[in-house]
Amino acid sequence: MGKGLPSYTDAEFVAAIRQDDDRALAQLYRLHLPMVLHLVQQNSGTEDEAKDVYQEGVMVFYEKVRDGSLELSCQIKTYLYAVCRRLWLKRLAEKNRFGGSLSDHEPYLETGAEQDLLDAQERDRQFGLMGEALERIGEPCRSLLEGFYLLDKSMQELTTEFGYTNADNAKNQKYKCLVRLKKLFFTHYQEEESF
Amino acid sequence: MKTEADYYALFEAYRAGELAAPARQELERRLAADPSFAQQLTDFDLLNGTLRGYGERQRTRRKLQAFQAALDAEAAAEETYQTGNPVMPTVHISGVERTLRAFWGNHRATIAVAASVAIMAVFGTLLGIEWWKAAQKPAPTYGYTMLRREVERIKRTQRAMNRAITQIDGTKAEEVNPGKFSGTGFALSPNGYLVTSYHVIQGADSLLVESRTHDHYRAEPVFTDVARDLAILRIVDKDFHGFGRLPYSFKRTTADLGERVYTLGYPREDLVFNDGSLSARSGFEGDTGFYQISIPVNPGNSGGPVLDERGNLIGIVSGKQSDVQSAAFATKSSYLTRLVDSLQTATVAHDITLPRANLLTGTSRPQQIRKLQNYVFVVKVYE
Repeated sequence: MGKGLPSYTDAEFVAAIRQDDDRALAQLYRLHLPMVLHLVQQNSGTEDEAKDVYQEGVMVFYEKVRDGSLELSCQIKTYLYAVCRRLWLKRLAEKNRFGGSLSDHEPYLETGAEQDLLDAQERDRQFGLMGEALERIGEPCRSLLEGFYLLDKSMQELTTEFGYTNADNAKNQKYKCLVRLKKLFFTHYQEEESF
Repeated sequence: MKTEADYYALFEAYRAGELAAPARQELERRLAADPSFAQQLTDFDLLNGTLRGYGERQRTRRKLQAFQAALDAEAAAEETYQTGNPVMPTVHISGVERTLRAFWGNHRATIAVAASVAIMAVFGTLLGIEWWKAAQKPAPTYGYTMLRREVERIKRTQRAMNRAITQIDGTKAEEVNPGKFSGTGFALSPNGYLVTSYHVIQGADSLLVESRTHDHYRAEPVFTDVARDLAILRIVDKDFHGFGRLPYSFKRTTADLGERVYTLGYPREDLVFNDGSLSARSGFEGDTGFYQISIPVNPGNSGGPVLDERGNLIGIVSGKQSDVQSAAFATKSSYLTRLVDSLQTATVAHDITLPRANLLTGTSRPQQIRKLQNYVFVVKVYE
């Protein structure tokens, strides 16, 4: 490291990420990647699987920070380790290759991380459903909603892009699309709920 | 009538705080009054929130992937920089070997545990067998068997016999504690001194002497000689009134080779006679304190007298060599007489008067035995 990159303490990391500082997030990402690479590769995983797990783990952390609901009772390192460990165990179980124990090289503590992970997985499920609903809604609604919500475009941009006469028309179209999306989303959502 | 889409416009403005005060109050009143309308707002919030979260997540994922790509690129750049060096030899690992390595990586802990258990089991078994074999070996002196009788071994047969007797006449047989070991002993002097082998009374708590007529006397050891395997006992029972005159004498010199000798003893419940010859004037492994005699002896014969033709006592039965045919050993009587002499002059003097006259000389062997049998005893040992 140390290539002129700023170094942060844990508290500074959290504060910077909350303010959407990408440099801090990049630095954090770079800092703890080797730990997770080691964990996964020591426990019959490949480098790509490790990166995948690590990105999931950082995502959980990031969303908790952005959410403002993070209760960090330990180091970020330990938190990430706990999340990634749990994630990897889950992957192993899915692959049916879990030998019954994981060789830990970091102190593994029961932190709030497990619960955070469960929350994140619940959100994952919702996002999956949302993705499906968006797939099925059809054009031009899909592009309009994706443009507004996912690509963060302004209504003005979208108006010109889709050739609406004015922003109000585009807005009205967006609301109609939302209503359709709602129907698609909630039928699925409730189906899944009723399981 | 407003459509749902119109309401969504209203909700969005409401959440964004763009509604004018009267319109907002109107909306809030309606929300409070109409639960299904409030549900619509909740749904809108959920939809909106999920969409925004979904967008956020996708952006974050792209961000993280960009970080990763940057890191990978960095690593690749480092690698290309290093390729300025000469080509490093690479290890080619075959598919089979890779599988084996992966297997080893995954299961080495289990394999290690299994291997140690196997090793421990093998060595445990081997040691156990060795230990068991060692425990089975009867005596430390190889080939030499002490001839005291382990009564416990015989007790089982005796019990079976007792049971049989009980079945026959219906009365319960008298239970007599037979003692743990037994040997033979014989009178040394008329006033109650006896001789037996040391190994018979070894480790004894109490001793009981039993005559042919089943009189019991308590006895205690007076002197023991471990090297010569000799023990002198004294009867300490108040019912004891002396042996009377002993018919045999003790030979003070060494007996001759080829002399016909015999012994009396209690290898079983009854008095048993056996005879043979004096085969050698040294004992087991050349021990000059012993004779080798060719008398068939059995456990229980230990401590029995060995007499020659004329009724002289020449030795005391001690043991036999189990891997040689008919080789028994007896302590020489000369050591016994010397021992008695030293006891008489000891600080605590013992009044042991060895018989001088021999009443057996010239009589036939059955006559000798008839006289002798009253002076040969069972020595019972309790531990």
